[in-house]
Amino acid sequence: MLKKTYDWIDERLGVTPIWRDIADHEVPAHVNPANKMSAFIYCFGGLTFLIITTQIISGMFLAMYYVPDIVNAYNSVKYITDEVLLGQIVRGMHFWGASLVIIMMFLHMLRVFFTGSYKAPRELNWVVGVLIFMVVMGFGFTGYLLPWDQKAYWATQVGANIAASVPVVGPYIRILLVGGADLGALTLTRFFAIHVFFLPAALLVLLGLHFFMIRKQGISGPL
Amino acid sequence: MADHSNKERIPGVPRYRKPKGLKIDGTEPFFPNFLLKEWIVGSVFLVAFIMWILFNPVDLEAVADPQDTSFIPVPDWYFLFLYQLLKYVPGQVVWLGTVVVPGLAVALLLLVPWIDRSKTRHPFKRLIPTGAMILSLIFMAWLTYEADEQHKHALAKNPPKPKAPAVKDTAIVAPSDPGAKIFSQSCATCHGAELKGQVGPSLLGVGNKLKPEQIEEIITKGRGAMPPGIVQGDDTKKVAEWLGKQQQK
Ligand code: HEM
Repeated sequence: MLKKTYDWIDERLGVTPIWRDIADHEVPAHVNPANKMSAFIYCFGGLTFLIITTQIISGMFLAMYYVPDIVNAYNSVKYITDEVLLGQIVRGMHFWGASLVIIMMFLHMLRVFFTGSYKAPRELNWVVGVLIFMVVMGFGFTGYLLPWDQKAYWATQVGANIAASVPVVGPYIRILLVGGADLGALTLTRFFAIHVFFLPAALLVLLGLHFFMIRKQGISGPL
Repeated sequence: MADHSNKERIPGVPRYRKPKGLKIDGTEPFFPNFLLKEWIVGSVFLVAFIMWILFNPVDLEAVADPQDTSFIPVPDWYFLFLYQLLKYVPGQVVWLGTVVVPGLAVALLLLVPWIDRSKTRHPFKRLIPTGAMILSLIFMAWLTYEADEQHKHALAKNPPKPKAPAVKDTAIVAPSDPGAKIFSQSCATCHGAELKGQVGPSLLGVGNKLKPEQIEEIITKGRGAMPPGIVQGDDTKKVAEWLGKQQQK
């Protein structure tokens, strides 16, 4: 049945070559931990991607309950934590996952750095990687404000003031970030939009480029 | 790109392939062989992650209060190194810490493929990049550690004020209960006559969290700065039962 359905679709759309093109490649021995345990450092990129995926999924579920306005944001997070079925777990996944993404991504970057894998012909993928790094830091900064509790508010206040201290353009950056003179309702909606629309869009484009280039160039050879 | 030596295979049928015809050097097809193993590693990783979450529930602090300037702010841990850096740059030249150093670091990181142009990749054969990265890592770790220590120190010096009542409804239940009278004599100096907290935390809504028996135990045994046995004998039960009724939301 499954096979028949697949064949029916394949006949019309020719999907086999598409996914075959993604699936059919050999994994060289030097990056396969099943072959040599020390190759586990080559798994960091994949594990980062796994946690990015859980972040996206847990984030989508949080968005079912989260309300991005200063009156309700705190209470909606409280409601998720205390009342919603498995809310505590989903929030925990998103909260701890944020740190885990940073850690795994950092380890992945160190692997690439110390194995000199940024060298020709992979320079562009390294640049894309650094951009991904900054996007992920942006996720951390904007996400931290969303629960609208004391530590969220004051950490963002400090962040905004640091931005304001930049010579010449500082005050403008602050206004752009905060959405006005003071941290408040506009800041929260702005951070929310950046956190759930702008940055995910940027991340998906960059990750697409990242994976395209890895596939095109193959993984770097043994040291 | 992919080597399409396996094109004859029936499409759409994933199966564990014997790497026939492959060099016997440990090379393996990505799909499905490698992916199956990777999936196992991923599952173990996820299970460990979920265990961590179960044992480390996330909490929520008091709601943001723009008036409360006494709150000691701290960014999330992965920003601490940047935050701490600023503490070592004098005020007139903050831009050194906000723009120049981080800007240089990002620029160096972005341009590293064009700075380190040698063909060798082994880290020990590229001592300058390797050494520079290790030094940066040590510096970042030290900054993070210092920031954390200083934050702990600041917290110890200025302990956060007892939380304002997190409940909206501040009406006291059964104000003429005998327990209320004992409370106003023995407990109100610390927990406030309206239960809103003073030295001790607010007790509005305790009944939501604790059962009378648990409250009784806290009274007899004390907790934190609260000494044991402030209320004695029968009175303990009366206060505890009355507090158990305080289920304000
Ligand atoms: C969300 C973050 C990221 C994800 C999901 C990701 C994913 C991956 C994956 C799956 C690979 C294949 C090899 C491996 O797993 O080690 C890879 C390779 C690579 N990544 Fe990333 N990456 C991320 C961030 C970064 C960052 C921050 C950098 C550098 C600053 C970077 C630079 C590279 C380079 C240059 C390669 C090719 C390495 C080689 O061919 O040996 N990536 N990435």
